[in-house]
Amino acid sequence: MSSLALYPEDEKLPRNERLVFDLYIITAVALFVLMMLLGLSMRLTQATWAGIGPKLFYEILTMHGAGMVGTMGLVTLAVMWFFLRKYVHLHLWAFLTNYVLFMLGALAIIISIFIGGYAGMWTFLYPLPVHSMGIGSVNAAALFFIGYLLIGVGFLLFYLDAAAAIIRKFGNLGRAMGLQWLFGGTIDQSHPKAVVASTMVIIANSLGILAGAVVLVMCLINAYFPAVVLNALVVKNLIYWFGHMFINATIYMGVIAVYELLPRYSGRPYAVSRVFLWAWAVSCVFVIIVFPHHLLMDYAQPRWLAIIGQVVSWGAGFPVFLVTAYGVLTNIYRSGLRWKMPSRLMVLAVFGWAAGIVPAILDGTIVVNTLMHNTQWVPGHFHFYLLLGVLPMALAMMYHVIGSRAQSSDDAAGDKLSLPLYIIGGLVFALAFLAAGKASVARRFATHLPEWVPYDQAGSIGAILIILGMLFFSVRIIAGLLKTPTDVGSAHPGG
Amino acid sequence: MISVRQRSVLIAAVIFAILLLPPVMHALQARMAAQMLVQIPLLIAVGYLLRAAVPQRLAAAIAAWNLNGLSGLLLATFAAAFWMLPRSLDAAASEPLFTLAKFVSVPLLIGLPMGLSWPCMNFVVRGIFLLELIAMFFRLGWLYLISPIRLCNNYLLDDQQRTGQYMLMIGGAILLWVAIKLLWGHFDLSPDSQQVARLHTHDPHRPADR
Ligand code: HEM
Repeated sequence: MSSLALYPEDEKLPRNERLVFDLYIITAVALFVLMMLLGLSMRLTQATWAGIGPKLFYEILTMHGAGMVGTMGLVTLAVMWFFLRKYVHLHLWAFLTNYVLFMLGALAIIISIFIGGYAGMWTFLYPLPVHSMGIGSVNAAALFFIGYLLIGVGFLLFYLDAAAAIIRKFGNLGRAMGLQWLFGGTIDQSHPKAVVASTMVIIANSLGILAGAVVLVMCLINAYFPAVVLNALVVKNLIYWFGHMFINATIYMGVIAVYELLPRYSGRPYAVSRVFLWAWAVSCVFVIIVFPHHLLMDYAQPRWLAIIGQVVSWGAGFPVFLVTAYGVLTNIYRSGLRWKMPSRLMVLAVFGWAAGIVPAILDGTIVVNTLMHNTQWVPGHFHFYLLLGVLPMALAMMYHVIGSRAQSSDDAAGDKLSLPLYIIGGLVFALAFLAAGKASVARRFATHLPEWVPYDQAGSIGAILIILGMLFFSVRIIAGLLKTPTDVGSAHPGG
Repeated sequence: MISVRQRSVLIAAVIFAILLLPPVMHALQARMAAQMLVQIPLLIAVGYLLRAAVPQRLAAAIAAWNLNGLSGLLLATFAAAFWMLPRSLDAAASEPLFTLAKFVSVPLLIGLPMGLSWPCMNFVVRGIFLLELIAMFFRLGWLYLISPIRLCNNYLLDDQQRTGQYMLMIGGAILLWVAIKLLWGHFDLSPDSQQVARLHTHDPHRPADR
């Protein structure tokens, strides 16, 4: 049970749990491939190698943004569930309800975009969704908001069930995060890191969803009663509080996979330390208040909020990232790490996370933001850490599970090719965005100036490589999940 | 020596009687903020305390139809939705029949069902309720603050906006309380109980842990 144990006693999923878990993973993998293809179609269009019209481009951009962020939330929530359930008693109904609400929300979003013509982006700028100049209807915008609300409610339900389970075991959320050991006392070395991380996510993301629940309903009211005029700056703050928090939470749910799995491949326990607890506590506060870095160019924004945005940007990602990177490096140093797909993916994830937050921190600095704001530097940063950081964390868990079910940790021959394809593709793709950003290429533009096109073409090639790698991963994972006989346990030392 | 139950009923009766006093009623209905944020919440509290007057057998019979407190919560929500309409508040301030309806229905259809249901609610239902309550205070507060028109005939725009400000503050205060409770609070739980957050101790009416 403890995190000092290398092989938790029982990771086996009972039949129903397994069914729902498989549903999550297969849905997520399929959605990732689909959304990547949409992404590729956009990149090819910017590169002038394909020609989807601007109207469809912005619809696809909206779908890709909302779809990718949602899917990343879905899959990392499955990571959190998979490991947290070993320490506290989670109810399957909450996990399943979240899935159902997510699918309903996704359906609402798809209809609003491709039938209703909503193309106001995943983080929209009030009041543009309801002023589409005749392209999309007000109903479409409303349906998009409702889709978000459904997904938010699903997440909240899951978090509440998880909070109840954690409190039942640890007393309250503060103790679950180990706050009692911040200033002294003997730390219980077996306190699960999965619980610390999950608790932080529950607190921070619930607040973000609350902000979303307020602002989305207000936008709905405004859609049908335009006389109720909202303060655009307040709306923007709340939208980013919600949106930034939601996507940020994925990395903190995903990293649980690293904490749980790495020791099994290094053969070395990965203990909880006071520094670790401090890092998570500080990040919990910072992550909640870091969102103003999206509003550095809003001149009406109170100055103190902009300053918080900059100062906290420098601090928010660092604590957890530093303890994790340090923890991972010391855990694998001279450990004779077994290089299998899950461990390769975990090392990649920590690198992707590390490298991906550097451009973010730079851009969170007001003087840099003056230059880089709304350039492709921004998609450069987040594609870097999402493609090479968070997604590999989730993939590591998936590979681990299929390896466990097949009772074999051997990589398939194709893995030797697919992972390098994915990594090289990811680097080329993300660096093309960053380079374009440095050259002041605007983000969210369907048509690019001729001078910008070489970046787009390089990015397109990178994207094709990523998708090839991802297609192979998907086939392996889906086949691995579907093929296994039901009575095989998933806790095998080989990982 | 009076019992805890008797004391609850007595407190409810005293609050109710004070609220009925003409000068008090008039003062509380003269301002929107006072009617919405003092008088109605106190009437809800009266109903909540009145649960102590419900005979135990009846309470048990109701509990059987009140899984996780959901039926009571629904009833209270619908009744509260009615009294949240500006039209109803307006009428309750100027039409005696509506005032009467308010004094009867708010305690009996909001407070009492909540009183009987709260102990049956598990952590998740309470969580959803509290988060929605907080969100509603924020949304309504925001709406009252920016509404370009007066929502009630009886109340002026400045009163309406002040009410909005108070609602934002109340929403913030509840959020802070919930956050502190979750982080450092004491939860009285038995391992197999769903019922996690028990905010009310010494309650002879609470059904056994489920
Ligand atoms: C092969 C993989 C991918 C490709 C080809 C791709 C392509 C693109 C393109 C072309 C854009 C528009 C950039 C611009 O503003 O000019 C974009 C935006 C975006 N992508 Fe991706 N992407 C991929 C993977 C991902 C992943 C894995 C995620 C997250 C999990 C993601 C999340 C987003 C988001 C949030 C936006 C911003 C949308 C907006 O500006 O509203 N993408 N992507």
